[in-house]
Amino acid sequence: MSAQQQKGILSGVRIADFSWIGAGSYCTKMLADLGADVIKIESSVYLDLLRTSRPFKDGKPGVNRSGYFADRNATKRSVTINMKEPRGRDVALALIAKSDVVCNNFAPGVMDRWGVGYDEVAKLKNDIIYMSMSMQGATGPEKDYIGYGMTITALAGLQFLTGLPDRAPAGTGTNFPDHIPNPCHAAFAIVAALIHKRRSGEGQYIDLAQTEPMLALLGPAILDSAVNGKLHTRAGNTHEWFAPHGVYPCRGDDRWIAICVETDAQWERLIDVLGNSPLLSDEKWSLQLVRLRERERLDDLISRITRDWNSDELMHKLQAAGIAAGVVRDAPGVLHDDEQLKFRNHWLRFEHPEMGETVYNGEPFRCSKSLVGPLRAAPLLGEHTLEVCTSLLGMTEADVQRLTAEGVLA
Amino acid sequence: MSKESRTAAPALERNADTAAHGPLKGIRVIELGGVFTPYCGKMFSDLGAEVVLIEPPHGCPQRHEPPFLDNIPGAENSLTFTYYNSGKKSVTLDIESRQGQELFRLLAADADMLIESTQPGFLAALSLGYDRLADMNPRLVFTSITAFGQEGPYSKFAYSDLTLLALGGLLYLGGYPDSAPIRVYGNQALNASSLFAAVASIAAVYAVIMGGEAQHIDVSAQQCVALALESSAQILDLEGVVRKRFGGQQRQAGTGVFATTDGYVCVMASGISSPRFWNNTIGWLLEERVPGAEALQQPEWAGIDYLGSEEAKRRFGEIFLPFAASHTSEYLYQGGQRHRLPICPVCSPSQVLKNRQLRARDYFVNVQHGDSGRVLTMPGAPYKLHKSPWRLRGGPPRLGQHNIEILGRLGVTGNEVQALAGVGTI
Repeated sequence: MSAQQQKGILSGVRIADFSWIGAGSYCTKMLADLGADVIKIESSVYLDLLRTSRPFKDGKPGVNRSGYFADRNATKRSVTINMKEPRGRDVALALIAKSDVVCNNFAPGVMDRWGVGYDEVAKLKNDIIYMSMSMQGATGPEKDYIGYGMTITALAGLQFLTGLPDRAPAGTGTNFPDHIPNPCHAAFAIVAALIHKRRSGEGQYIDLAQTEPMLALLGPAILDSAVNGKLHTRAGNTHEWFAPHGVYPCRGDDRWIAICVETDAQWERLIDVLGNSPLLSDEKWSLQLVRLRERERLDDLISRITRDWNSDELMHKLQAAGIAAGVVRDAPGVLHDDEQLKFRNHWLRFEHPEMGETVYNGEPFRCSKSLVGPLRAAPLLGEHTLEVCTSLLGMTEADVQRLTAEGVLA
Repeated sequence: MSKESRTAAPALERNADTAAHGPLKGIRVIELGGVFTPYCGKMFSDLGAEVVLIEPPHGCPQRHEPPFLDNIPGAENSLTFTYYNSGKKSVTLDIESRQGQELFRLLAADADMLIESTQPGFLAALSLGYDRLADMNPRLVFTSITAFGQEGPYSKFAYSDLTLLALGGLLYLGGYPDSAPIRVYGNQALNASSLFAAVASIAAVYAVIMGGEAQHIDVSAQQCVALALESSAQILDLEGVVRKRFGGQQRQAGTGVFATTDGYVCVMASGISSPRFWNNTIGWLLEERVPGAEALQQPEWAGIDYLGSEEAKRRFGEIFLPFAASHTSEYLYQGGQRHRLPICPVCSPSQVLKNRQLRARDYFVNVQHGDSGRVLTMPGAPYKLHKSPWRLRGGPPRLGQHNIEILGRLGVTGNEVQALAGVGTI
């Protein structure tokens, strides 16, 4: 194994991470998995709310027991600094001075009030890369408005577009932008800024409004509205020009399969796999336009057949016939049943001092010549305060103990 | 391609004018246009990289995707293609022909990065796989984005956005308790795959710039979707609970979508943020003299278990629903935000286009459509890098628009380009 294979792509990059809750923490977690030394700056005085969010190991609350927090903070180091204490700010600035990147997802103004806003930090270290990912950005009339992933989906249009036309918007059922659009865009921008710094010597401030990456993933809908004056409605699982294209019930409680038929030839094979049921024997269904025009009727007929099938068995039969089909996996499905996720070792288990062995997401990519994390469980609150303050900041153990007792490193 | 020109790679150039042209100026990306590649290529292009979109002679899949300009189908009319590919350079190439393969190898020999989403094994069979190209060009980052990754029992499965959302687990969480699961709008499984690929790829490009080795990045779309499950896997693992869908209902009391006189608002009065936002909500409802709001001050509301109960949802609904239903979304947005409550309107795309915050931030950009000359408005910078900004490099390329420019760089003459077109190679 070469030296590179034993470390991550971003090894040598250090991040002073003020992120909390969702999008920020998942951004820096990805960078940690790619090899960056991510030092999470948090406090027992005002906890990262994810530490107090379900699920807890055995259902028992505790700041070191949240599985939600653990998954978003694996591989990081945790330092507790009370940023409301002036001496806390000094420790934070010392840590920033040893870092390449500062990341936070607070509302505009919070970092400034703590004395670690961009202007302050740039005075100390002018090539710092400073990522701020607030809800609606650092400028504009609604910059101080607050929100979370779910409200971002609403403001950006995703919620409106997702669901059935005659019912309330359903959305994803999750805080979607926190998990993919925002952390990925932020991580990309940070590495781009590292490249800029390597080539120009300059650091920079990055203003990411969390509504904006979400909206960037709805480009065609926005264009359709702006250019064609399209008035959107919700369209369920239907597709503009394929039918059948939907989710059909299978045998058992709340079991479903997604099936997409794109060509007439696939349609013929679908009928065949479904046992040439008399329900689908009408020749008219071989015509794409009929399938599109009468898709509700068609979906109903297909459902009557699929409900007697085992979902995995049907998926494999349809796949053997070259038809896109996938079981709608619930949590046990993705965690225990899915052969491909197993093959890819998607779910990792790490031992944690308070939680024992629990499950973590792996990264969805493999790198042929570098190590990809997560490498270890989430840190305990303040687990690395002593280690970081002594080895990185040159403080003595006595300094650390005193500042801890005085509520500065807390 | 001579050895010298490769070692003088633009990506390694220091002091490039990255402030004016984007941090990735001079980096050359070859995007073999496929289902999973478009947003990944766009991210590189918009930060300054030269992204050459390789299309089959009849065009890449997105050229045929609706919506279309004025609703008229045509390879130059797709708004989906416009959004994802503006600023890229289009080169047509039949990589299933020997000549096409040779030109593709020459392009890859001079690139910093290749993005592709063909079925595993397809490129290797054409002698265009990672091993072959990395041999020719040791600084090439080679990114493969596929439905399930390069290997494994499902690696040859047929797929679509919908089936990937299903197998990745996100589909199960969407929809109403009494409906089938319903997918998130907008090909988000495809977008997610592009996004994770972009992050791993730019990190790999950075490593090369820092003197490290280039490598193969293998992205699984199914796994990308699984990253969106919030804490669903952990809830099962730690508490033994299977999370379900709750569309149209309150997730906990005070958190959900509520009808207004002109649409819906999305409210998060409880949940991760409680109890601060709960108290802010009460303050707002009391100020508005909403009947029954005093009852929300009673001690039982402090318990997260109670907030999740059907009784709590019903009681909150009895107080809040009539209030919401008698005001506009905008009134509720401004009032709730004044009281520091996470609340916002549920916006349609046409409403998003009028959003005053986005307008004030100059979020939307205009791009000129080549054939019609029309100016099209679309989402712009997803991040504001103050020293090396995001910038759209141009409009949507016409099919094969850059054949002469890009192939010319490989030493193919103008006459030869015509000959290649004549036999259908480009």
